[in-house]
Formats: sequence, structure tokens, C-alpha cells
Amino acid sequence: MYAVEFENITKSFGLLTVNDKVTFGVKENSVHCLLGENGAGKSTLMKILFGSYKQDSGTIKIRGKEVKFKSPLDAIDEKIGMLYQHFMLIDEFTIWENVVLGNEMNAGMKLDYKKIKYRLNEIIEIYNLGLDINKKICDISISQEQKVELLKLLYRNSDILIFDEPTAVLSPVEVNEFFKIIEKFKADGKTIIFITHKLNEVKELADRVSILRKGQLVYETDKADIDVQKLGKEIIGNVEVAESPAKISPNEENKKSFIELKDVTLIKDKVKVLDDITIDIRRYEIHGICGVEGNGQQELVDVILQFEKNISGTVMMKDERVSIVPDDRYKRGMIKEFTVGENLILKKPSEGLISKRTVDTASQYIMKKYDVRAPSAETPIGSLSGGNQQKAIIAREIEMQQNTMIFYHPTRGVDINATAFIHSEIVSLRNAGKAILLVSSDLDELLKLSDRLSVMHKGRLIKTFDETELSSGNRNNLLEQIGKLMIGIH
Amino acid sequence: MFSRTSIQTKANIISISLSLAATFIITALLIILIGKNPIEVFGNMFSEVFLSGYGIGQTLFKTTPLIICGCGLAFCFHASIFNIGAEGQLNAGAFAMSLIALKLGAFPWYISIIICIVVAFGVSALFGLIPAIIKIKKDVSEVITTIMMNFIIMALINYFLVDFFAVKSTMHTEKIPEDMMLMKFSSITSFFQGSSLNISFIIALALAVISYIVIYKTKFGYEIRAVGFNPSASKYIGLSPDKIIIITFIIGAGITSLTGLNFIMGYKGFYEYGFSNNVGFTAIAVALLARNNPIGIIFSALLFGVLDSGGLAVNEIVPKEIVLVVQGVIILTILSINTIVDKKFNIAK
Repeated sequence: MYAVEFENITKSFGLLTVNDKVTFGVKENSVHCLLGENGAGKSTLMKILFGSYKQDSGTIKIRGKEVKFKSPLDAIDEKIGMLYQHFMLIDEFTIWENVVLGNEMNAGMKLDYKKIKYRLNEIIEIYNLGLDINKKICDISISQEQKVELLKLLYRNSDILIFDEPTAVLSPVEVNEFFKIIEKFKADGKTIIFITHKLNEVKELADRVSILRKGQLVYETDKADIDVQKLGKEIIGNVEVAESPAKISPNEENKKSFIELKDVTLIKDKVKVLDDITIDIRRYEIHGICGVEGNGQQELVDVILQFEKNISGTVMMKDERVSIVPDDRYKRGMIKEFTVGENLILKKPSEGLISKRTVDTASQYIMKKYDVRAPSAETPIGSLSGGNQQKAIIAREIEMQQNTMIFYHPTRGVDINATAFIHSEIVSLRNAGKAILLVSSDLDELLKLSDRLSVMHKGRLIKTFDETELSSGNRNNLLEQIGKLMIGIH
Repeated sequence: MFSRTSIQTKANIISISLSLAATFIITALLIILIGKNPIEVFGNMFSEVFLSGYGIGQTLFKTTPLIICGCGLAFCFHASIFNIGAEGQLNAGAFAMSLIALKLGAFPWYISIIICIVVAFGVSALFGLIPAIIKIKKDVSEVITTIMMNFIIMALINYFLVDFFAVKSTMHTEKIPEDMMLMKFSSITSFFQGSSLNISFIIALALAVISYIVIYKTKFGYEIRAVGFNPSASKYIGLSPDKIIIITFIIGAGITSLTGLNFIMGYKGFYEYGFSNNVGFTAIAVALLARNNPIGIIFSALLFGVLDSGGLAVNEIVPKEIVLVVQGVIILTILSINTIVDKKFNIAK
């Protein structure tokens, strides 16, 4: 019995076909992984299922019955729930207020608090979510916010759940917790559609896998036949993935510090968001920072960028300016209303009049050099795929030619191909003598690139691994040790 | 792939045409409702505005301050500064302009005019700086501060005018010397039949072109729009949003002062309390209607100018307030139809 059946789903935006006759079924009571590069059409397909978009042709069946959703409200009525990558919660409301919002239990004017809270606590207990429903959203962590979103879906009795890259914001320990919750969902008879870029998660969770490439369904397999290597190949098709150049090791005396922070403490709203940070970022080195989101990484970056003035301790910097690839490209990396060209030249210190020709020539050079794929420099950057947007931002920052560069989640939400390209660029920059700070929560990325690696927890750098510690020893032990440090277990 | 700009232009033209048609129908129904003939009303309006040199002149005369003030506001709006205080800002500048003009007898006229413009610009800019600083330092919305500044400025002008500068038992200042007045079109050609249209119309057009170039073709313009779209990204890109907001606020407020040129230096020769006739507010609609594009502002200002001067022509048939209704309906239809058309064209917001 299928919970969801896609039959010949086709959807185009203008001349671009994003879903091309996609046909597959999602079995009831299973975990179905949907894979594909950015821009392969996964999100579009899910938005069609959830009623946000309407397909051009093809049909969707839910539990064997054909449906035509006019809006997400219709999908919710069919007990479909979506866990978005970006949470939609009101900071100043408590958890239970957020959950109930828009779905009040009784139609009357007065909310039956007792009944609602009882029901919520019941759900929290069943799924071991560990939430205090009276806490405000602004006082909880990102992984807890995600659980609130889950709680919303459960409160609405959704039994077909769509998860869009849910693990991108979680630490390894939290990922394990999350997987346990998913297993419980399955045990309770729910159906889960799981979108991810991390292939090892697929191996662990999936009952069945479907891969989209350029809008078409190219590969499907069952749990028994999952081969991570094969999946990787099918996702990108017949393309060579860029390999990172080997790291070159210069003489020790060449490894001068470009940035030195000493005993830096930053207090915001009476909370020590940075606590006695001492760190140096040297030439020919990638200094990785790992930690669960919200443990002071943003503040550390802001201190280096000199956005934070009221700090104690000393900051020494070789250069005034530092290049930054920010964590959230929509909020901080680009102006999505501007064209690709305008975004690429924004930082160039050219003066006076800016003609269309200057923008075009400058940006075409950059687009070619860094393989930013866009129809033209005049395309709005908001319409590119995530990987190409990220490449554009990274290209802009590299072209600034600063001695020090910060990469903050450089490959979040970016596909395998673009990730490989970005990694090789970062290593090349290191080999060219730049000092690089790499902030990430992706341990694979950090271990692959970092020359030194510091773990951040509650505003403190609780441990720094040097080159020998990173290269010698058992990788699994190292992963486990770092994972524990990230949640504060020494 | 189509380029975004051509789609946007097409969508704009369609939505504006649809809105005008909708407005026309709604207004016609209203006129029928009060028992008059809409064809007669619109006919009168048309012949008054377009069929005589005087009518055309007066329409352009009324369009001028709307273009100037609209351009000032366009700067603010591009930086996402919602400046509601243009009315106060332009009155402060115009008042200063008239006072300084009276003191400049000894200079040649062209130097005097430049001094007047600079002083007026400076005074208006100062009243833009105050809400800008409050916004940056104390995070108070400029909507509130600029509205309050309007009251303060108008009260201060009233006080200074009545107690010090007004000609006795009037609400206006003394007349500035005739040789400092801007040239009227009717003194060059008889076509305009003594209308008040003067050189400041040309100044307004030039201002619109310059504003267009600054906003869309210069680095500074890029920065204003970047900050307006996304201040936090602008910060990480290396701009200083605070600085840009302050500068833009000053420029925008300063430009509104030039509104005074038309009335003071081109028409009456003195500052009169209430001369601006809410231009500072109407210009908000003018700028929004043109989506803050200064070239578009010329046309949306013209539309409001036509309505303004057409209103007088129909006063004997229907109350002239009908034009206020038309203005209101146009804004509502354009704003709502814009959204619908944009959706049809898949233009993401």
C-alpha cells in the first residue's frame, strides 16, 4: 500500500523544466529518502506534494486516492506535514503557543489551555522530545526549535511527514537523537519522506531511495541494495568531481599569525557569549571551529569583523579587512533582489558611474573562472541554485584578495559537486599562504580541511586539536571525542 | 530565459494600465451614484487640462513640486527609510529659502539663487538628520519620529512667521526682489497664456534624471539599494548600513526643500504658511506609484498634477474633492493589481 504516489509529475518555470514526468511511490510506514543535487527538483516536488505549487501535469495519489491541493491547508487536512529547513516560529511566544497557533483545538474564542497542554506533554513524553512547553522560543537552542516544529506536526496528527534536510543544523549527538525519534515515528505507523545530502544517513535510515537528477527520476533502490558509492555517482551523473589539491607544508617560520585573539570576552544581555577566547589564525593554515550552532561561533566571527565593539581582551589583526563567506547566504551573503553581476561587483572598490558593460565584463570573468552557472550576469541571483549562489559569493570574496578569510558553513545546503569545488578552492587558498578560519558543524568537512581544529561550547574554546592529533589515531575515536566535546562532555 | 528587467517593465505597464481602467470605472460609478454624468465630468476635466496652453501650463506647474519631492522620497524609500516627514522637511527648507533670499540683495541673481538652494537644502537635510540619528542610535522607527517632526516644524514656522517675519495681518513673508525670481515660461512664449509654469519645472526634470542615474548607475546608488534590500547582508559585504542610512536620509530630506523653488522663487515670491498643500504626503503616493523610479516619478507626478488641476474644472458639476477620491482609488487599485500581475509573471518579491 502506497502512502503517496507520484504519477508523471511535470512542472516548469518558464523554459526550465524542474520536474520531468516523475513517477514513484512511497510505501506506507516507511522511510523514503529523496536525493539529488541542488536544483535537481526535490524541493519543487515536495512543494507540489504539500500544495504550495501546482503541477503542470501528472497526478498525486494519497493513500490510493487522487488529490488536487489548492494550498498547504488542503495537504494538512490530508495529514501531510512538512518540516522546513528554515523554522517558522515566533520568538516571543512560548513553545505551546507556537504549536497551537493557527490550530486551536476548540473553535470558540477561549483556548482550553489545560486540555492543550495535557495533549502536548503527552506527545513530548511519547516521543521523548524533552521540551518544556512554557519556555519561549528565544530561550531554546536550534535543535530544540526543530523539535518544536516536530511537535507541531504531531499535534496536527500528521502521518505523512516531509523532512527537508533536517540534520544540517544538528551536531552528531543530536543527529543520533533525531534518528531515534524517526524510528519511533516509523514504529507508530507514520510515513517519512527524508531529503538529505548526507549519504551515510541514507544508509542508516532509508527503506527505499529515489534519486532525482535534472528533474528526472534516475535511480531507485531498496534498503538491501544501498551502496553509498553508487548513490553518489547516480546523484551527480557522469561528471568528474573536483579533487582538492594536496596540502603543502611550508616552513614553520612562514606560519605567521595574521589574527590573534587574547582573552576575548563578550557579554550580551548579561550572558557571556564569548568567554575568554584565545586563538590565533596563521598563514598556510586552515583553523577549523566546530560546535553546535549558537555556541558563540557567530560572535567570534563578528569580533574578527569588528562588528562587536564592547569586548574585553585584545584583538590583533594584520589587515583591516577580512573576507567573509557568511553562514546564511540569503540573510547575509547576498542581495537576492540584485542580479548575479551586481552581487559580484558589490564589493569591488570601483568609484563613480557603474555601466552595464563594466558589470558584465567583470562578472563574466568571475563566473567563468569559478564556474558560476547562470544564464547571464543579468539573471537575478535569487533564481540560481544554492550551489551556484554559494560559488558566486565565494568567488566574490576570493577576488577581494585579502590575506585572511573566514568561511562560515561554506557548503551548507550545497550539492556534492559544488562542495568538492569549494573545498578545493579553500585548500588552494591555504596553499597560497592565506590564513583561513573555517567555521562549520559538518565534521567530515572540518576533518578533511582543518590543519588545527578547535571545539567551541557555550562561548568557550574547550579544546584545540593540533595537526598530529588530527592525523594520527583512530578516526572514529576522534569523531566520538569531538562529538562529546561539542555538547560539553570533556 | 528572459531578462528580469524586460519582464518587470512589461508587468509594470500592464498593471498601471489595468489600474487606470479600474479607477476610471469606479469613479464613473461614483459619479453616476450622485446623479451626474461621468462623461461630462471627465470631458470637462480633459478639455480644461489638455485643450488650452494655460491648462497645460498649470498642470505642469502643479506637477513640478510632486516630481521634486517624489525624487527626494525615492532616495529614502530605496534605502527602506519610510520618511513620512517630507511635508515638514520641505516647509523648513522653503521657509529658510525665502528668508535668506530677502537678505541677499547685493549678490548677482544667479549667485543668490545658488545660495538660496544650498541653505534650503541644508535646513531640510538637518531635519532629516534628526530622525536618522534617533533611528540609528535608539532604534526608533522613522515613521513615528518624522510624523512628530512634522508637527514640531510646522508649529515653529508658525511661531517665527507670526512673531517675526510675516507681513502684518498675513501669513506670508515679504516679497523677494523681482530680479531673483525664476523665469516663467509665459514670458518666453505666449502659448502658456500667463500660466505660472516656470524654470523650476526644468530643474525638476533634470533632478529626476540625475536621481535616476545616481540610484541605478552609481556605486553609491547600488549601496543605497543594497542596504534597503538587506541591511545585514550589506554589513557583511563591507558596507556601513548606518552611515548609508544617515547620508540617504539627509539627501532625501534635502531634495524636498527644492519644492520651494516652484512656489517661492517661481510664482509668489514669498513663503506662505500652508503653501505646500500636502505635497509632502501626496509625493509619498507619487513615489510608491512609480516604484521609486525617478523617471517613473515624472509620469506619476504628472498623473497627480492632471487630477489636481482637473479638479478645479469640474468643481461646478461635482465637488472638487472627487479628485481626492480618484487619487485614493488609483493608489489602492495599483497596489492590489501590482501584486496580482506580478504573481502572473512569476516575479518573486
